[in-house]
Order: sequence, then structure tokens, then C-alpha cells
Amino acid sequence: MRCGKHLSQKCWYIAHDEVKKELTAEEANEKKKYRLAELGTALLVDPESNIKSLREMLQIAKDGDHSIVILGLKSLLAVFKDILPGYRIRLPTEKEQQMLVSKAVKKTRLYESTLLTAYKAFVQKLIALEEQAVYKRVAMRCICTLLEAVPHFNFRDNLLVAVVKGISSQDDVVRKLCCATVKSLFEHEGKHGGEATVEAVKMIAELVKVHNCQLHPDSIDVFMSLSFDEDLGKPESSEVDNKTKMKNSKKKRKLVEPNKLPASENKRSRQEIISKTREEVKADYKAASFAQDVAERRRMQSDTLSAVFQTFFRILKHAMQSLASSMGESFSLPLLAPCLNGIGKFSHIIDLDFMADLMNYLRKLAGAGSQKNDSHHLTVSERLQCCIVAFKVMKNNLEALNVDLQEFFVQLYGLILEYRPGRDKGEVLAEALKIMLCDDRQHDTQRAAAFVKRLATFSLSFGSAESMAALVTLRHLLHKNAKCRNLLENDAGGGSVSGGIAKYNPYATDPGLSGALASVLWELNLLTKHYHPAVSTMASSISTMNTVGNQVSHSNISPQQAFVQLSHEHESFIPASNTKKTSNKRKKGCRLSFPISSASKDELMTLADENAVRNKLSEHFLILDNIVENERLRTELYCTNMSLKLCEQYRKQKKRIR
Amino acid sequence: MRPLDENETTQVFEKLFKFVGSNLKNIVENPSHEGPDPNPGRYCFRLQKNRVYYVSESLVKRATNIKRENLVSLGTQIGKFTKTGKFQLTIQSLNLLAANAKHKVWLKPTSEMSFLYGNNVLKGGLGRITENINPNDGVVVFSMSDMPLGFGVAAKSTQDCRKMDPNGIVVIHQADIGEYLRMEDEL
Repeated sequence: MRCGKHLSQKCWYIAHDEVKKELTAEEANEKKKYRLAELGTALLVDPESNIKSLREMLQIAKDGDHSIVILGLKSLLAVFKDILPGYRIRLPTEKEQQMLVSKAVKKTRLYESTLLTAYKAFVQKLIALEEQAVYKRVAMRCICTLLEAVPHFNFRDNLLVAVVKGISSQDDVVRKLCCATVKSLFEHEGKHGGEATVEAVKMIAELVKVHNCQLHPDSIDVFMSLSFDEDLGKPESSEVDNKTKMKNSKKKRKLVEPNKLPASENKRSRQEIISKTREEVKADYKAASFAQDVAERRRMQSDTLSAVFQTFFRILKHAMQSLASSMGESFSLPLLAPCLNGIGKFSHIIDLDFMADLMNYLRKLAGAGSQKNDSHHLTVSERLQCCIVAFKVMKNNLEALNVDLQEFFVQLYGLILEYRPGRDKGEVLAEALKIMLCDDRQHDTQRAAAFVKRLATFSLSFGSAESMAALVTLRHLLHKNAKCRNLLENDAGGGSVSGGIAKYNPYATDPGLSGALASVLWELNLLTKHYHPAVSTMASSISTMNTVGNQVSHSNISPQQAFVQLSHEHESFIPASNTKKTSNKRKKGCRLSFPISSASKDELMTLADENAVRNKLSEHFLILDNIVENERLRTELYCTNMSLKLCEQYRKQKKRIR
Repeated sequence: MRPLDENETTQVFEKLFKFVGSNLKNIVENPSHEGPDPNPGRYCFRLQKNRVYYVSESLVKRATNIKRENLVSLGTQIGKFTKTGKFQLTIQSLNLLAANAKHKVWLKPTSEMSFLYGNNVLKGGLGRITENINPNDGVVVFSMSDMPLGFGVAAKSTQDCRKMDPNGIVVIHQADIGEYLRMEDEL
């Protein structure tokens, strides 16, 4: 009994203690919050005298309570963002510390050293906390903000390491933060003088290598924010210029010197002294100013560029290897799309030596899906993207040599057939059509005719957006290649203009050997009866292209614009009886229990249509049913009639016999 | 007229392969719509007086009715065998090659005449070139308006062509359509 009482008393005490602890904990938290706020504002007001309070704030941030730590981190972040100076702090060396200095200098040194140690502790804490899942987002946010605000300050490397690790994290928020930070680093090079860019790019390249190209595409997307000087790819021109300049100046000197001989020696020596002092002043000025040396900047940019292209080539190689080696295993190439985008963007600075390799890779990747075994292939969009990038690279390097990319045309010819509207992106196809067919200046007639015929077939099979894009390209091609216009004539067999091949082979894989010049574009006739008015007018204008002569009023829209226009219009394009059907829909509203999204009228339209259609169909089938039933009954009736008649006849006969 | 034997066929096909690559299949299996027969026959190669001709089978059947001494030529001549037994493609094969060529080169209008006089193609005269050409590949030369002018052998690959100076030789001349005028007697 006693021990029971004892126990219960103990429990009461323990409970009481805990309640007390909670109460006191809450009070303590409040106190700490106030303290943090106090210290923070004091620091912001006068950093130099209150610098020691940083230590106290750090101490508070080491508390056990979760929310206090977060608050502490955030307040420290705000303070540091404001008080960190605009220059890197270099701690004084031994020698300097032994020198006698004034009070002001001593004060500054003390301030700087305290600031630096506090900052170091803060950064280390952040990086340690980032590992723990509870504080991950907060710590990451702090690191990113610090890196964006003061990329020139000490300990940038540690911050950068943490951020680069985060650009491929599984957590969406963290990843977006880190990518945004890296992008702002690339875009605002003035803050850190370019070194951070080089380091960041090198770290990302390392990351791709370590993870064997299995990262989130955002991590390579950040490269698109890089920008390089325009003349980075032409280092020789400046050297050549220098050489010619030197030659010119030498020539001039030689010419000038014999004239100068009569001048006095004093003058010459004075001029020499003047030029020497000028150079010295220049050197001093350069050393003192923060302006970047052009050569230094160029070196950093070429380093960055080589790291970027190293990554791109690694990704391409990885893609090729997985295609070549995997037998039935599924693999993913998440980095391929941003890599191709990046190559397209930077293709004008790529070195000529790499061009052959790059084209090789692109050719193999573009052809990768055409094998029969389905286990390893790239999607149609990816292959189209490869073709587009190849063309961009070629166009940007035209002064080297005008190369005709026949293989890619063969691939595009095949890809137009393989396209499926739901699965593949129509915009990519429209872009490919524009870049490869519309922008190109010269075409083999047989090849152009093959594309014309295939595009006409293509536009019959898909929705109005794709049809429009194909028709725009078609008209463009017919404009450029006058000989293809005999496809508009009703002259099957092509006559004498058909080139070498007498018969059209629709399944040919090579456009040059398809014999399309011998075919006729009968599809245009069908297209003039298309339900969409834009498509039908376009088709009729193309078919009268030969007879009407040069019409000036051709709108020069690109296939991409046509595609986009019609895919938007598609939703609002319905013939005029819109309102009637929606009112119908309202009457029958409750019957339809589909969740109607607020998005498009289109869905409403189809629902209303469906209802009406359903009714009509049910009527129709009822009638059919009745007819069938009717017939059946009639045949039965006929049978019974016959059997009755037979019975009667039998009875009559029987009677007669009797 | 007789069909080609093993050795000769290999030689002809090798030379053709240098120019047309995998399209050789198209040349050999091209269905021919000549003649009154309902079934399209094929094309084949025949040898007459050291010259190789590319003829449709229906034509060959009818040509057997002519005496050997009286038969001058049939179908399209594509080349001839020299006295030492080597096979050379002649200019008359240009249409066949141009239709099936894998490697093509387009000339600028200013350098067309130079090529038609029998000179080699220099880099400065090059308008366009297909990618992926290796040295010693057969190349068909076109004008900018896509008219075949002749053929030759590539001296450098496309990649090397990019870095060459403008007076370097890109294609070594083998035959051109100017020969119809210059070497009328020898064809």
C-alpha cells in the first residue's frame, strides 16, 4: 500500500516536473527568440562594435529545440547577408601581425577576424545540418541565399560544393533552389569575376561523370544560362591581327627612322623616358584596379567551354553505349534532351576538330530507332531533336564548308512516317520541318519531290495542326523547286521530267530513290474538302499555284507558327451552333456525372454532342431492332399458317377417304 | 555479245560500288518497263567488243537476232575493258551513277567550265559536299542546278576539306560531259 502511494506520488512529481519543464521550456524559447531579435538588430545597426554578439547568436542556434535552431539560422543569414563586406578577407600574416599599427587598423583587424571565424562556424554548421533531413530545406535555402548574395567572399568553394550536390537531389524544392542559384551565378558574372563559373561547371562535369549520366535533366539545363564572348572560337584571328600589326609597325618604323636621323639625340632619349614611364603607370594602374585582364577572362571562358563540351560528349557517348550494349534491358537517358539543347545553343563556338565526332554521334543516335528490335531505341522526339541539332551545328559553321547532311534527311523522311500525335511532340516535328526543309537553300529535286509527296500523305492522316504545318512546308518547297510543280499536274508517270525512276515507290527509305517526281498530288484534292477552313483554303491555293502565277499575298508563316496557331484554335474552333448545344447540356445537366473541368469549352461541346449522338443512335438501333423482330415474327406467322393449312388439307383428305 | 564471266563481273561491281555503295542493289534489280512483255524483266550486263553495256533483258532477247559483227551497241554503255584487262567507267554511265550516287559534290558556277575542260575540282570551286566522304571514294559532280557534270575520285575526306586552303584538290577528275565534244572519236 505504502509503495503504491509512494509510486503514485512519484508519478505525480514526475508529471509535475514535466509540466514545469514544458512551461519553462516555452518561456525559455520566448526569451531566446527575443534575444535573437535584439542581437540581430544591434548588429545591423552597428556591426563594428557589436561583432561579438555573433558568437552568442551562434550559441543560441546550437540549441536542442527544432524551431529555435531554424530561427537562429534564419536570423544569422539575414545578418550575414547585410554585414559581409564586398571584398575577400585575408587574415594578416605573422609578419604583419608583428608590425606596429594604428588603433584603427587594429580595430579593423579584430573586426575582420571575428567576422571570419563566426562566418566559418556558420557555414560549417549549415553544411552539417544539410545532411539531416529535418533541417535540409532550411539549410539549403540559407546556403543558396549566401552563395547568391556574396559569391566573392571566402568559403565560396564549400558553399558551391553543397549547392552543386543539390542540383540533382530527389527533393523538388531543394533541386529548384539550387538550380536557380547556379543560374544566377552564371548570369551575374560581375559579382565574382568568372572564377565561380569555372568552378561550378567543373564540379557539375565531375558530378555527371560520377553518377554515370543518371541525373535529373535540370542539372544540365543550368548550362543554358551560360554565356560566352562572341569571339571565343576564333583565337587565331587576334594573333594574326597582332602579327600583321607588328609587321606594319616595323615597316613604318623602318620608313620613319631614316627620316628621324637628323633629329637630335636628346629628343629621342626623352621620348624613350616618357614612353617608359607611361608603361610603368599603366602597369601600376592595372595592378590597382579590379578590371579583368582580357586574356585572363578568355582563358577562364575557354576552360568553362571545354568542361561544358566534355560533359556533353560524355552524355552522348553514354547514350550511344547504352543503345549499343543493352539487350532488352530498359535504360533511361534523362540527360539527352538538355544536352542536345545545349549543343544547339553553343554550336557556333565548337572547335572544328570535334565537329566530325559530334556529327558521327548525332548520326548514330538519329538512326538508333530504326532497328527492328524494340528493346533499345530513342523516341521519335529525341531523334528529331538530334536531326535539328545537326542542322544547327552545320548552319553555324557554314564558313568552314557547306556540308549536305544526306543521312539526316533520310532519317527525317522515315521519322515523318513514324510520328504519332499523342505520343510525340508536334512542336519538335514542326521545328524539324522548318529547319531542315524551309531554311535550306538548295535541294536535290528528287529529294524535294519525295518530301512533298510524303508531307501531303502525312497531312491527310493527322489533325488540323499537323496538316497545316505540313502544308506550309509543302508550299514552301514547291515555291523553291520549280521542277517539283509537275506533281500538281495530272500526269502520272511524270513524263520526261521524272528523272531516272519511272514509278513512285511510297515505301522507299531514301528520298532520293523514291521516284516521287513521277507521282501526282491527289491528296490536295481531298484536303480542299477538309473540315477546317484554313486547311482547305491552303490546299486549294497550293493546287492552283501553277496556273494563277506569282501570288504576292503569300503569308510567310513558318510551320511552327502554323502548328501552334491551329493547336490553340482547335479548342475554340467549332461551327456556330455552340450556344444551342450548351443550353441543351444545361437541361440534361444532372444526368452527366462526369467531373467537368473548367478548362475548355471543347469538353463541354463533346459531352453535349455525345448526348445528342447517343440519343440518335439509340433511336436508330431501336428501329433496326424492331425491323428484325418484325421479320422474325412474320416468318413464324408464315410457318404456322402453312402448318395450319396442311392440317386442314390432311383432315379434308381423311374425310374423303372415309 | 556475251554475258560477263566471274572475274569481269567482280571488277564491274567493285567499280560501281565505289560510287553507289549500297544502292548497287537498285541498279542490279531495277525492274525494266521496256518492251511488250507484261512481266517486267530486269537489267543485266553484257559485253560486246570490250565494252560493257547495261541492258534490259527484253532488249537482250531481241538483240540476239543481230549478227555479232553488225551489232554496234545496245542499251547504255557503262564502261570498257582496257587491253590489259582492267575495267574503267566511261562518261556514258553518268546518268546511272548520278541517280544512285552516295557521295555528291556541287560546283559553283564559276568553276563549272574548268571541270568540263578536264581539270580537277579545287576547294575554292566547291559549293556543297555530302558529309562522310572518305579518300578514294567515288564522287559524282553536279552543278548547282543539280545537273550531273561528271564523276571522279575524292582526294580528301570531308573533314579534311574543311581545313584545306582554297587551292587544294578535292576531287580528281575521271570523266565529264565535255568529253562528248572533246573526245568524240574515242567514245
